Amino acid sequence: MKEILKITSAVSDQAEVYYNSQESDSVSFENAQLKDIDSKIQSGLSLRLIKDNKLGFAYTKNLLNPEDLVNNALSSLKGGVEAEFNLPLTSEVARVNTYDSSLDELSNTMMVKECQRLVDLLTLSTKGQVNVDAGKVLEKLSIANHLGTNLSTHSSFYYSYISVFYPASYAGVHKLFIGKKFQEMPDSSINYVIDLYNQSQEEVKPKGERMKVLFLPETMYVLIWRLKIGTSGKSVYDKETPIAEKIGEKIFDSKLTIYNDPLDDSLPGARSFDDEGVPGKYFPLVEAGVLKNFYYDLHYAKKLNTISTGHGFRGGMGFGVSEPITVKPNPGLNHLFIKPGDKTFQEMLKMMDKGIIVGGVLGAHSGNLSNGDFSVGLSPGIYVENGEIVGHVKDAMVAGNIYEVMKNVVAVENIYHPSTSMGTFPSILFEEVSVATKY
Amino acid sequence: MLDELKRILSKVDADYADLRYEIKKETRIVFNGKELSQIGSNTTNGYVARVLKNGGFSTIAFTRESESEKALKKATENALLLAENLRKPVKLAPIAIVKDEFKPILKEDPRQISIDEKLELTRHYNSIPLKQEGISTTTIQYFEVSREKYFVSTEGAEIKEDLVTNGVNGSIVSRKDNLLQNVRVGIGGSDGFNRIKDQDAEFERKTSIALQLLEAKPVARGVYNVILNPSMAGVFTHEAFGHFSEADLIEDSPTMREKMQIGAKLGNEVLTIIDDPTVPNQLGFYKYDDEGVLASPVTLLDKGVLSGRLHSRRTANNFNEPPNGHSVAEDYRYAPIIRMGNIFIKPGNKSFEELLSELGDGLYILDAKGGQTSGENFTFGAQYAYLVKGGKIAEMVRDVNIVGNLYQTMQNIVSVGNDFELGKIGGCGKGQLNIRSSHGGPHILVKNLVIGGV
Repeated sequence: MKEILKITSAVSDQAEVYYNSQESDSVSFENAQLKDIDSKIQSGLSLRLIKDNKLGFAYTKNLLNPEDLVNNALSSLKGGVEAEFNLPLTSEVARVNTYDSSLDELSNTMMVKECQRLVDLLTLSTKGQVNVDAGKVLEKLSIANHLGTNLSTHSSFYYSYISVFYPASYAGVHKLFIGKKFQEMPDSSINYVIDLYNQSQEEVKPKGERMKVLFLPETMYVLIWRLKIGTSGKSVYDKETPIAEKIGEKIFDSKLTIYNDPLDDSLPGARSFDDEGVPGKYFPLVEAGVLKNFYYDLHYAKKLNTISTGHGFRGGMGFGVSEPITVKPNPGLNHLFIKPGDKTFQEMLKMMDKGIIVGGVLGAHSGNLSNGDFSVGLSPGIYVENGEIVGHVKDAMVAGNIYEVMKNVVAVENIYHPSTSMGTFPSILFEEVSVATKY
Repeated sequence: MLDELKRILSKVDADYADLRYEIKKETRIVFNGKELSQIGSNTTNGYVARVLKNGGFSTIAFTRESESEKALKKATENALLLAENLRKPVKLAPIAIVKDEFKPILKEDPRQISIDEKLELTRHYNSIPLKQEGISTTTIQYFEVSREKYFVSTEGAEIKEDLVTNGVNGSIVSRKDNLLQNVRVGIGGSDGFNRIKDQDAEFERKTSIALQLLEAKPVARGVYNVILNPSMAGVFTHEAFGHFSEADLIEDSPTMREKMQIGAKLGNEVLTIIDDPTVPNQLGFYKYDDEGVLASPVTLLDKGVLSGRLHSRRTANNFNEPPNGHSVAEDYRYAPIIRMGNIFIKPGNKSFEELLSELGDGLYILDAKGGQTSGENFTFGAQYAYLVKGGKIAEMVRDVNIVGNLYQTMQNIVSVGNDFELGKIGGCGKGQLNIRSSHGGPHILVKNLVIGGV
């Protein structure tokens, strides 16, 4: 990295090298049987340089010749991509604990055992099809720039994920467990899936109408995705957000507090700096329903005459599968939380005279994202009547706009859970949401 | 290169192994509104090895040649661990072993076109919406992905194939007060740069739709009879039926396998569905899949009766059906998985006017906006639709999203048009991205679809 910085600094005004390497293993059981064990060993490097306020960008997997990479970045200057920002000098960052060396030693044999244990428990207590996954990722990441910023982080990530599906379908009930080291999935998580599945086994055919809708941590991203777009500095700059003028105003129910906290290292995913070397900190988006902040990377901050909030990340807004080295930083939220409320999951169920639990969704990308609109298939919808789960619904959709739906919160669960998409959330019960069914 | 790969592979002690090496070159030119935000060409590369030993079959992706020994050792260990724990050992269906080099026929190789010309073309298309009042912003990008693939196996396969894909795509955003409308636009293909020239009309059409949507009302939720245009019919075929034809999605579900037996009557007699990656000049074309199997067309549904499915070598053996070359990877980071190449409904005999009068009252739904499948349930969205009253097209409506169930919906396709059109831009995100996933078809009439509305 040093050599590339040296060569680059000689021919440009500013330079930054980003390096990332990953080793991962994954184990999957399908229909209660071991199916796959796969591994990945990946690394790559990305270079940004700025000359005369123009950006050069290049990346490679196998660095054979540093000069080729630098020349490639230089040649991309010709396009004239504006870059009026300054890369930061960051010498000190908060300490976050992101790595547990015991995960290095975790064997695939151990993960197969844990999956088998989970498969056995779920098969014993449900009649559905059982799928179980586990895996680990060990990652190293470094960022260095011409000013002497030289940051790196080492992280360990373990997950297990259980699913029970209704017959002849891939709609089902799921639960994720994550940690920096290996741990058995707790009984509470396993029982949650068993109970939710068993209570909703029967297929029911309720009429479509407006009713209470409960989003689970696993499906909260449908709403959060739209909020992430709505509060991104990029959307503010592009005039693509309906809440551009609403800082300090109440946009949601006062039960909702939504924040990014990269320094919270109780779960994997903490980071003391973003992908541009800007330090991260606790960052409220919405506090008691009031819009507090938009989030920026260096580029969009400069465009709008403000400062980076430490949210420049190399990843898409949605479900990009691009390798981080291949994309430039953009405004992103890396460690998002919704603050828990004061009701247990069971208490929330009791508050539903009639309603749908969004157990899984299809087509989360459907509807006008920037507008806050959503219109998603339920896969499944779990139907509740008089506070009791009565069954699951097929062929149903739930639709609305987050700037209306999130104004009417009935209750927020008193604990949050990691999810596979976009953050750590409690379950939330909303009032009067439109549900369409075939009946 | 092939000799180098054979040398690496020769060190594996396995019942079967293969090794794929890819050089991927990507060119991207991105405009956000009138500002250029990215431009450049970059090359990445890597290896994917698969090892079958004692019935355990494992994949490893790695970046450097120097890691090959460690990687193959790990894949072998994983295969043995699988073998110890599997109830049924994995076997691969036998195939004809190929030694071949295949280069696509391109009308103007995009790799030979200067980046300046690509930049100008992208800037030009981007300017078409931006000069209209009411358009608030755009995201328009030129993309070009070339995969230079080398494949060897311990069975003796030696294949080199290039896949070159390019296009201009993105979204056009219109705005009136606080209402934003977003319309996707895209042109492209896999048969050369020529494909994306002189396409102003498409950008003009989509700009006009974005503006008209500002005046359109949201569709009311409910159950509708609908006509889908070829773009919608294509996504519909892909989501509602195609994924179910992918053997890996049903192989571990006894209940779904039961329903999807060859010979099962799933649809009306008007309905025949084919997947054919070998149709020349269409987006989804390839000669060999990423297991070295020659791609072949498959009739999936023949007059409503299930007649075939898409296979990898592993599933072909498992189902005791012939392999057909549908196991494809995104790039050097992934093992191949079963994918559609180019799926479509075979045209029928109804003119568009006949379909309209048969529909009577309902919706005419146009241009797909992405979808998703899970088991027999699917959903997908449309860019826009028109109300149809008494067989006449009336006003435009927006926010059209459909949800449905495979088995019911297949029966509800009651009429098939006599026209035919394949998509120029595709994409499917089943675990990995497949930018060449292609689909299309004629206009079709579908009864009783659930529309989400607002």
